[in-house]
Amino acid sequence: MRKILLAVLLAFGLPAAADETCLSPYTTALIKGQEDYIHVWALGVKDLGDGQDKLVTIGANPKAKDYGKVVSSVSVGGRGEAHHMGFTDDRRYLWAGGLSDNKIYVFDLQDPAKPKLTKTISDLGAKTGYLGPHTFYATPGRMIIGTLSNTKDKGGVTGLAVYNNKGEYVAKYDLPVSGGGDGYGYDVAINPAKNTMLTSSFTGYTNYMRPLGDLVKDGEAMKKFGNTMVVWDHKAMKPVKVLAVPGAPLEIRWSPKAGDNWAITATALTSKLWLVKQEGKEWVAKEVGTIGDPAKIPLPVDISITADGKGLWVNTFMDGTTRYFDLTNPEQPKQTYSKVTGKQVNMISQSWDGKRVYIASSLLENWDKGGADNEQFVRAFDWDGKELKPAFEVDFTKEKLGRAHHMKFSAKPR
Amino acid sequence: MRVRATLLVLAALVAFEVPAAQDEKRVAFPQQLFTAPPAGSYSLPPIQAAPRGTVLDEQGRSRSLAGYLHGHVTLLSFIYTHCTDPAGCPLAFATLAAVRDRLAARPETAKAQLVSLSFDPRYDTPDVMRLFTKTYDGNGRKPAWHFLTTASDSQLAPLLVGFGQDAAVADAPGGARRLDHTLRVFLIDRRSRVREIYSSAYLMPEVIVNDILTLAAEDGTP
Repeated sequence: MRKILLAVLLAFGLPAAADETCLSPYTTALIKGQEDYIHVWALGVKDLGDGQDKLVTIGANPKAKDYGKVVSSVSVGGRGEAHHMGFTDDRRYLWAGGLSDNKIYVFDLQDPAKPKLTKTISDLGAKTGYLGPHTFYATPGRMIIGTLSNTKDKGGVTGLAVYNNKGEYVAKYDLPVSGGGDGYGYDVAINPAKNTMLTSSFTGYTNYMRPLGDLVKDGEAMKKFGNTMVVWDHKAMKPVKVLAVPGAPLEIRWSPKAGDNWAITATALTSKLWLVKQEGKEWVAKEVGTIGDPAKIPLPVDISITADGKGLWVNTFMDGTTRYFDLTNPEQPKQTYSKVTGKQVNMISQSWDGKRVYIASSLLENWDKGGADNEQFVRAFDWDGKELKPAFEVDFTKEKLGRAHHMKFSAKPR
Repeated sequence: MRVRATLLVLAALVAFEVPAAQDEKRVAFPQQLFTAPPAGSYSLPPIQAAPRGTVLDEQGRSRSLAGYLHGHVTLLSFIYTHCTDPAGCPLAFATLAAVRDRLAARPETAKAQLVSLSFDPRYDTPDVMRLFTKTYDGNGRKPAWHFLTTASDSQLAPLLVGFGQDAAVADAPGGARRLDHTLRVFLIDRRSRVREIYSSAYLMPEVIVNDILTLAAEDGTP
């Protein structure tokens, strides 16, 4: 009998032993140690390796023999614009979405070195009418999925889907199209102590699947980007207020510091930092900073906040630059460091202790640069507070793995 | 003699743990910096069906879990009685106790109930659970609070899987054993459907009470 219980318990897995700052806070207790693995959701490239989207796992512990090496790769059977991922609240499963195939791939991380594809959710479009599963934000026993588009006209009007941890559909919630809302979606982030959920806005399938060079020349298409964030009553899952945040606000990060009550985002097209905070009873959005030279459209694409809420990494895609902002006063962020970290850079994730920073190269299949500028990599850096020092690199083209996009951390049971 | 000695040890453990679980100062209640939305002003879509399975009541009688759940709005948490993590089972106990106090004066929740179900049948026998029933006056107050266990690991397993409750065996100091788990409390409607799941960041008694009132006001007809 004891063996049966042990089998069940082991089937649910053991707690991870490392973490990053940009997870849903509802995952199992965060442990602030050394990550052992970086999981990379990579877009397949035609005629490169098997050409399929895949979850690539890289050793990340400098004390391990597999440090800086690819330890496993799980292909999903096709190419569907692999993009973002998120852990379930118990951190046992990693959900990964395809922006064009509209599928969600569920990987079991019982053995974090060798993730297994255990389920493919294919009914998102049929159940919700939404297209392009982007953000996977864990709440207890469920996943909130922020989407980018819809199956009807493939434009930017979309919503949030909720599935339970078994992969079964629960509910859908449209992004508001009245009261100033444009209906566009992108990221999701929740502050449970305030019962407040924020969403941001990007663009629909017809734009994000279009070659970037063509898109930027099409004035009408360029009008079809989100210019809003929405404040939600999280318990009721009802929009409360639409905030004007022009220029496609992307990733949202609540300050993880206890007692802080603000979130920050970056706008892709206008290259600004925006602060969302409560003044009195009203939630407001304030432009608080500039990222690079907005006239050159550096295209800030990802941010990573420090665990104490006092610093923010920002990656800008076009100039391949990684910037650090001092957020001691979140109303006045100050850039204190910058470094060109690649010819194109997209995602950035830091360890909980802030000592390690990881950067991935790919933005979208049709938005990545061409020729020699189309570097595809994951680069790891050590950060001493003054300088990013290269630690290791995996060349995704040389390894025939594809385009490196979103990253998540895991660790062996300890 | 061995059985009696074991029970004495368990009783000593429980005597220590019951008051510990009641001491709200030890537990890490989450911050609630908002007024809970009024009951009935929102809906709670069904998340999943509660699993079917067999449990043991405080008298050691075998009963179906479905029989317990049917017709009641139930707040259920998995616990183990020797858990000492303030952010774990003691928080669940303290939350359920606070919810019970708030519900006591609400006649519309007469059919609500609390269930603490052990995921450690090896230690938490019906005798142990009965001590908790006695301490918390489980059946003597409204809403009732049931302290249930299972007869075996094989009886427990489908309940853990069905609810999606993770757990992992770990060693604790002094050669003891610990069950690491994500703290989850399940709100189940009268048709045995899970309608809300709370983890440590969400265990706010005012919110939970309004959720219970929301379900209590629904037509429970299957």
